[in-house]
Amino acid sequence: MTATDRSTTAAAGSTEPVLRLEDLGVTFSSETGDVPAVQGVSLYVRPGETLALVGESGSGKSTVALASIGLLPENARATGSALLGSTDVVASSERDLAALRGRTVSMVFQEPATALDPLTRIGAQIAEVVRNHRRIAAKEADALAVDLLRRVGIPDPERRARAFPFELSGGQRQRVVIAMAIANDPGLLIADEPTTALDVTVQAEILDLLRRLAVESGTGVLLVTHNMGVVADFADRVAVMLQGRIVETGPVEDVLLRPEHEYTKRLLAAVPRLAVAEAGQGTAAESGPESEAGASAADVPRPRYGTRAKTARPAGDPAEGERVVDLKDVSVVYGRRTNAVRALDGVSLHVRPGETVGLVGESGSGKSTAARVALGLIRPTSGSVTLFGSDLRRTRARARRSLRSGIGVVLQDPVASLDARMTVQECIAEPLRVHRRGMSAKERQDRVAELLERVRLPRAFAQRAPRELSGGQRQRVSLARALALAPRLLVADEPTSALDVSVQEAVLEVITELQEELGFACLFVSHDLAVVQHFAERVVVMRAGRIEEQGGTMATLLHPGTEYTRRLLAAVPVPDPVLQRQRRAARHAAAATAAGTAGPAAGGAGATA
Amino acid sequence: MSAVVQPGQLPGGPGPSAGAGTEGPGLSGLRLAVRRFRRNRLAVIGLAVVVLFFLFCFVGPLLYSTDQTHTALNHANLGPSGAHLLGTDAVGHDELGRLMYGGKVSLVVGLAAGVLATVIGTLWGAAAGYAGGWIDAVMMRVVDAGIAIPALFILLVISAITTPGVGGLILILGLVSWLVPSRLVRAETLTLKNRDYVHTLRAIGGTHTRAIGRHILPNSVSTVVVAATFQVADAILLVAYVSYLGLGLQPPKTDWGGMLSAGLSATYSGRWWLIVPPGLAVILVVCAFNAIGDGLRDAFDVRGRG
Amino acid sequence: MNTFLYLTRRVLQAIAVILIVTVATFCLLHALPGGPARGILGPQATAQQIAQFNHEQRLDQPLPVQYFAYLGRLLHGNLGTSYTLNEPVSQLITERLPKTLVLTVLSAAVGLLLAIPLGMWQAVRRNKPVDYIITTLSFVAYSTPVYFLGLMLVLVFSHILPWFPAQAPQGDTLGQVFADPAALVLPVVAGAASVVAVFSRYMRGATLENLSEDYVRTARAGGSRRAAILRRHVFRNSLTPVVAMLGYYVPVLFGGALVVEQLFNYPGMGLLFWTAAQSSDYPVLLGCVLVISVATVIGTLAADVIQRFIDPRVKEDRA
Repeated sequence: MTATDRSTTAAAGSTEPVLRLEDLGVTFSSETGDVPAVQGVSLYVRPGETLALVGESGSGKSTVALASIGLLPENARATGSALLGSTDVVASSERDLAALRGRTVSMVFQEPATALDPLTRIGAQIAEVVRNHRRIAAKEADALAVDLLRRVGIPDPERRARAFPFELSGGQRQRVVIAMAIANDPGLLIADEPTTALDVTVQAEILDLLRRLAVESGTGVLLVTHNMGVVADFADRVAVMLQGRIVETGPVEDVLLRPEHEYTKRLLAAVPRLAVAEAGQGTAAESGPESEAGASAADVPRPRYGTRAKTARPAGDPAEGERVVDLKDVSVVYGRRTNAVRALDGVSLHVRPGETVGLVGESGSGKSTAARVALGLIRPTSGSVTLFGSDLRRTRARARRSLRSGIGVVLQDPVASLDARMTVQECIAEPLRVHRRGMSAKERQDRVAELLERVRLPRAFAQRAPRELSGGQRQRVSLARALALAPRLLVADEPTSALDVSVQEAVLEVITELQEELGFACLFVSHDLAVVQHFAERVVVMRAGRIEEQGGTMATLLHPGTEYTRRLLAAVPVPDPVLQRQRRAARHAAAATAAGTAGPAAGGAGATA
Repeated sequence: MSAVVQPGQLPGGPGPSAGAGTEGPGLSGLRLAVRRFRRNRLAVIGLAVVVLFFLFCFVGPLLYSTDQTHTALNHANLGPSGAHLLGTDAVGHDELGRLMYGGKVSLVVGLAAGVLATVIGTLWGAAAGYAGGWIDAVMMRVVDAGIAIPALFILLVISAITTPGVGGLILILGLVSWLVPSRLVRAETLTLKNRDYVHTLRAIGGTHTRAIGRHILPNSVSTVVVAATFQVADAILLVAYVSYLGLGLQPPKTDWGGMLSAGLSATYSGRWWLIVPPGLAVILVVCAFNAIGDGLRDAFDVRGRG
Repeated sequence: MNTFLYLTRRVLQAIAVILIVTVATFCLLHALPGGPARGILGPQATAQQIAQFNHEQRLDQPLPVQYFAYLGRLLHGNLGTSYTLNEPVSQLITERLPKTLVLTVLSAAVGLLLAIPLGMWQAVRRNKPVDYIITTLSFVAYSTPVYFLGLMLVLVFSHILPWFPAQAPQGDTLGQVFADPAALVLPVVAGAASVVAVFSRYMRGATLENLSEDYVRTARAGGSRRAAILRRHVFRNSLTPVVAMLGYYVPVLFGGALVVEQLFNYPGMGLLFWTAAQSSDYPVLLGCVLVISVATVIGTLAADVIQRFIDPRVKEDRA
């Protein structure tokens, strides 16, 4: 193993590890031959400690997790050993593994939406895990299930036990999965991206819950994640994976603050960091230990694309009157009467020439709907949309179409954004075919080549199929397509949220450069406050279809004007374990004050602090 | 096995040998599909059977020439022999030659009717799915109404009114069986029109025509091809019912279904050569097309649901 | 969408479908050679009789007016009079429909009882010999015309091996039908064969799909064994799409009954329809088509409601 392991085994060598991987290898057999996914991985997890396994997509971190509980897919072959106590998972039969799973080791998965059987009541699903390992009466198991639901913080557990998964929110479903995982007090809990599918405030709650449970029962946790903030918030030790191997291991402070391996350094540099003002400002919680955090606003390392927010013009600068897109009092209502759902409720926002506006909010806040209204994909129920000075409702279809040639679009999903049946050339040339009918094939080809260069892709990519490209390359192709008509407005809906941080950095950098060069305005939709903070000059915070607040990015995100924005910001984990510990304490204190009671029900008072 | 499983044909989900592995880089979509198809043994056998039957029906008569227009009552009901490999029928036609002759009609009518049904269904389903709203609702209620009347009942009513020729038969069969493909294509269109690349195109001012022509139709090709294959299987099966229901072609013309119906009276007299060959021919060909459809569905990764 | 709203909407849809069917039968009635007059008076009617009938029945009025008159008659249960049997069509159908229902329900039940375990077995043994054998058999069962299969069954199990009678029970009442269960065996088997073929394939697909769902992995991570997961989770989840499919299968069941009844001389609605077609008895033909499609729509509706009952999730309208 080439990894630099600086964790001092001496200190905690007294307790036997609950999990010990030795030279673990996993190979997938596919239609095109064998693909090694994991090679020579050795690690251990001791009772009560959390080991975070981090890495980008394809690094093999999830495969290691699945191998540790014996849940690898059928086309995978494991070598080496994975010891749970004295049992080697790699060599065990399915029957022996079943006896182990749910009792000695259990697992929490990424996607709470699909992790539960949709047709079985949640209480019964938890009771099933209990009865898999304990010979007790059904009634008793049901009662235990209710207790477990209470332990994971589900309100009114007696009634909720009879609910079906679809009746619960994503966060609550994840709590149910956790309840199943801890039902028999396992020695090891494997959590595979347990909060990736959740909103940031829910993520903070789930992490608090996991931390509390792990401490209460002395469970060891193997946490798989790509999010350095989560690592800083939760882990005791960290193992960094790259291409199926561990490249660096050590205590969380060492790895995150003083990385040694080149890859870890690059990875950490690419993580957008949320600049924070005096933590807990405006709440009752700030005092002594917070002062250290206050400094971070200035000297947080900045990604290369992040220069904008600092130079932000104060709101109401030049060209006050001119707006490329202007939504006025826009509402979007789906359904009628009793079923009506207000997706947008009186939203007014605008983008001025050349500026970047960040539209942030949690899922269901209406940020994507607002972007789609601006794009003319959704017709507002009431209110007006003005694009480049023309009211869309008062424009004829033909004129409206030519107006739209001034828009460029990049959407979230790199796969769904490009038609798989077209070549890259055809994808990028599509806007030209729509609006530049007179262009000859040769001219189109030249333009596409030029655009490819602009987004820093080789010209030869024109003849490739989208499926041969990586996610980051695809998003750059989307960007090239968006820029084909030299737009005045780029609408980007979560353009990098499906990408790894290093790729995200590269894509955002390209956008920033091109924006400086071509001067288009940008409406940037994102759930990631840190990215928006670096990328946008102005920010609009949305919540439940309404605008919560808007203003200059630094002003708004450093000194939020509303309680909601404050909570949102407080929930973002920062990739600095020391700072994050303080932020967490401040958040708990704030929550306790807000709730009026400082009881433990407020969400697991800082267990590791 | 009532003829024509109207909703969705033989369903199956991932069939035997559906590839579960990851897609390798550098393989084009079509190449990958061909590769998956070839790994499905039943589908490959099905393809071979179909090719053999086409050769049998269209090339066979060149090698084994028989008179299928004039009756020869003095040669009626002969058992298999050197002169008549599969014997003769009740009016003296050579049974093997008749199997080729009838097979031509069955295959041509089945293929044409299946394709016609797929074309109608595709246009209807794509229009309904893309239009959405109340137009979609009305168009789909019409499909529901069509599905509510069993095809065999309609065919029997038509047989009480008229006796069609080959062209009429194709038209009738096409018109009673376009409903299933229309549902499939509508579902596909609904998915495709909400793809991000279609949204992107619409947002920058692309027309509906372009969205349909450049994105939605090309991307539903695999769904349509799979639907068409099952449709042909069902149409050939329907053709076999047509004579039984009294809609058959007038002698001396015939098809496998007509031969089968005509031979039914011979069931108890031991003249097996009058029913077993046409019966096997229908079963084999319909099975083969179903197996091919199954293989294509897996190869293209299409969900064949109604 | 709550259950009440869903039901209301679903029933309204069903009514719309039935209305479209009545428009179709109305058009058919007018497309008949000689028009509805000949269709109702019979082939022997003279030109004078037809003219008088047309006047009396207000057939000289605009088509929409006539359609509503037709609809009014239907609502009163008036489907016309058979001119070969000289009985009201509605009465003929009420006598025979129950027998057809017995046949179809039995075929479907027997078929499903076989198909569901077979399909699950195939899914579990995917790509093993058992899977290939059952797949091939279901292709064959699906591809065999019912009349051919029925005849082979009679040949083997009635003529060669005298186990079952070649004719279905002949009684007029349901009691008489059930009094001779042996006689029901061959017709039910002939009707059930395609149900087994189609639904075993369907169940196989649904099971395979569910086996790859995340919740199966969660259950495994909780220590549940494979058999228990199949029994407790996969089975129920796979059954819901199968139930929905059953709704759309109702017309095919009736189509099968048409042939089976004719073949086994079973005096149900299919046989009535068959004989009516031989004698161009249009009122009976159109009446049967209408009743069959109403039965189909109700069957589909029932399947949807049952599915909704099994699966409590709020679903998008998939119509």
